[in-house]
Amino acid sequence: MSPELLAAIAAGTGVMMLAAAVAALTVKKLISAIIITGFVSLSASVLFFLMNAPDVAITEASIGAAASTVIFLWGRGRIGGDDQ
Amino acid sequence: MIRNIAGLMITAAAAAVLFAMAPGLDVPGELHGPAGYYVENGVEETGSVNLVTAIVVAYRGMDTLGEVVVLFSASTAVVLILTLIPMGSGPSRPSPVVELTARVLPGTITLFGIYVVTHGHLSPGGGFPGGAVVASSFLLVLLGTTGMPGSSRLLTAVESLAGISFGLMGFWGAMLLGQFLNSTVIPEGTPGRLVSAGLIPLISLAIGAKVASELSGVFASYRKKGGEA
Repeated sequence: MSPELLAAIAAGTGVMMLAAAVAALTVKKLISAIIITGFVSLSASVLFFLMNAPDVAITEASIGAAASTVIFLWGRGRIGGDDQ
Repeated sequence: MIRNIAGLMITAAAAAVLFAMAPGLDVPGELHGPAGYYVENGVEETGSVNLVTAIVVAYRGMDTLGEVVVLFSASTAVVLILTLIPMGSGPSRPSPVVELTARVLPGTITLFGIYVVTHGHLSPGGGFPGGAVVASSFLLVLLGTTGMPGSSRLLTAVESLAGISFGLMGFWGAMLLGQFLNSTVIPEGTPGRLVSAGLIPLISLAIGAKVASELSGVFASYRKKGGEA
């Protein structure tokens, strides 16, 4: 892949990530916010991969996108569903 | 409202500082100091083709040992606090989709995690990323059942054994070569082969086992106290 194409993909992912982060703050339902936060982490993982850091990308995908999303979901179950 | 405005102002201030610093971040054409030394002599001295692992495990092995200790105390604290919390409503029966996924995928994910750990000196990865992958496959297993798979005793045993062997390998270097955590107490071998780089693969294995068992323990205790999800 050419560097220009890579930079374009990275920029697109970054813009998507920012938009998702804002959406996670403004969205009404708690469960939607949790899933969107997971998506932000997944985008971060893609960005790490594009920046030639595959090992960091693996860690971010498994901890940030998978584990913390599930832990938030368990926490949401604990406090009893959607409140906002 | 006031809280929102305060948060916005703090964010704007942090962004201003970061953007002001950004122009100073140009990549130097030549590496100086320790970085240049590692790139020049890293493969020859440690036998590890992956320089990141060579730095993390061999040159900066002491920091990694510290990191493992930090992770240990953090997970101990989390589990300790969770024992003080009354039991949650417990997990509900997972949907058939999750149940099937949790039956099919974990084996493959665990295998990938083990690959990442054992090839840390050859390809990107190493103990921390690989251990995290193995732990996330355990998380998937947890999501697919209502019971508690495996025994927490086994997890604790693996965790302790991995931690102790990391420390002992450090002392091995101290005894033979007068340098704690020297990875060349056994021959480096040919760089690029699976059995090479001296102690680095063994230390990676210890770190991977420790991270995987620790995170799995934390997930399991969260799950015990969580509500249905």
